Amino acid sequence: MNCDKGSAPERLATLPPGGPLKFRMRMASDPRLLSVVRGTVSELAAVWGFEDEQCRRITLAVDEALSNIIRHAYKNRCDQEIDLNFQAHADCLEFSFLDRGEAADPSRFCAEPLDEIALGGRGTHIIRQIMDEVCYERLPEGNLLRLKKYLPGAKSKAGPAFTHV
Amino acid sequence: MKTATREQTGSTIIDVTGDIDIRTSPGFRKTLLESLKNTPRLVVNLREVRYVDSSGIASLVEVFKEARNRNKRLVLFGLNATVHDVLQLTRLAKIFEIRETEEEALQA
Repeated sequence: MNCDKGSAPERLATLPPGGPLKFRMRMASDPRLLSVVRGTVSELAAVWGFEDEQCRRITLAVDEALSNIIRHAYKNRCDQEIDLNFQAHADCLEFSFLDRGEAADPSRFCAEPLDEIALGGRGTHIIRQIMDEVCYERLPEGNLLRLKKYLPGAKSKAGPAFTHV
Repeated sequence: MKTATREQTGSTIIDVTGDIDIRTSPGFRKTLLESLKNTPRLVVNLREVRYVDSSGIASLVEVFKEARNRNKRLVLFGLNATVHDVLQLTRLAKIFEIRETEEEALQA
């Protein structure tokens, strides 16, 4: 891959040997790091073959998920840990987020249709709009949120699926 | 994110630069609400905004509601594809007054 700054990312047409391409990040729950993650996710989505609009949207969904963790699970504390894992499969990108904060309210993820001028609730609405699969689990070690976005044509999208385990 | 304020006859223009996210949206919201107190029409220039998240959108909605309650106007202009897309996703593109250019925003 050409690593010159400013060059377009090389798109990977096939899965590399050894299975899914993986990228792992452990970050503090500090909002100053969000712009760093946004840059990384946008590049990753581009490398995996998503068009510009989808790259922007995937980045937005990941950013909203992290923002929710910082605001709701960690109550805006900046010194907590979030484990962020990316896996690039042949047909999709999968993002998982593990935090050790307060349990999420699953009803937020399957909320009623958005009230246009309500002040809250847009973050989860955006995630559900963009991602093909949204799965939340409360585990002994914390909250696990998994988001999947399929490559265009990889799967017929019947609408965003939400799973609460 | 940075903001700069200009005055035109009958309008206050806020030029916004950078990203609006959970770190910066409280300052963005405060600047807009303070500026709205002293003008009948608040014009927000988003041309240099690279990114906006749901907290930035919530700030805009709050200012929109405040303007409506006080019979004032909030006009946005210079939205790039990223900002416009977030407004579409949140179904707010039809709620706000949106113009392409500053001239159009001032004539709105």
